[in-house]
Amino acid sequence: MIKILIGILSGIISGTGMGGGTILIFLLVYMLGIEQHIAQATNLIFFIPTSIIAIIINIKNKNIALQSAVLISIFGILGAIIGANISINIDVNILRKCFGIFLAIIAIHEIYTIIKWYKKQKTRDNKKSESEK
Amino acid sequence: MCIKNENLQKIENMKNITRKIIIGILAGIVSGLFSTGGGMIVVPALIYLLNMEDKKARGTSIFCILPMVITSGFFYYKSNYIDWNISILCAIGGMIGGYIGAKVLKKIPVQYLKIAFTIFLIYASYKMIFQ
Repeated sequence: MIKILIGILSGIISGTGMGGGTILIFLLVYMLGIEQHIAQATNLIFFIPTSIIAIIINIKNKNIALQSAVLISIFGILGAIIGANISINIDVNILRKCFGIFLAIIAIHEIYTIIKWYKKQKTRDNKKSESEK
Repeated sequence: MCIKNENLQKIENMKNITRKIIIGILAGIVSGLFSTGGGMIVVPALIYLLNMEDKKARGTSIFCILPMVITSGFFYYKSNYIDWNISILCAIGGMIGGYIGAKVLKKIPVQYLKIAFTIFLIYASYKMIFQ
């Protein structure tokens, strides 16, 4: 039951376009004590059905740049072969620490986008108050 | 002049192709290594490097990541890392959650969600690195 709940929570977050996968992996590792590799594999399976639905909707709405997508996909598969083989052969503790560092990098990127948005908002407000004068 | 423009166009095309190749390889490595986060590379890369609009970048990124996920899944499967019991339960929850998310989350401003997500990331990365 907890597993379904974790899935629901991650699914809700995925809908916003922010990594639901990071939350899924973290909850599986820390709430259920599941090994990092298995948690990551769970995330892979978790991703497939939802993404297929999303792709169908996006194709219908013509929200996919197909030519770019195919080229990126081909080299993405190449990268995934490299990445997956590193991951499989790496020690669990090192993998978990690397994952933590990766999360920290995303956090820094998010902080940067929030600050950028805030600044934009501020200049817009300033312009508004100037034009009101 | 005309020839020059044509050459410039060719160079620009080559640059874009190289960018796509690099985006693909990088996202693939991250995707395979952590099984997540490919989208967090592909989406900003498409927007900033290839000047794609936000909606199209998101749609394109999901399309790109699925083959990477399936490829990584194959290698995780071969190493016996897939626990079908946990995976299927989480996937069922994920579909329910995705549906709820699509309905409910439109009413909450994205910025608040982003701030909450960032706080989560900082907490999770601390735990993952130091414990």
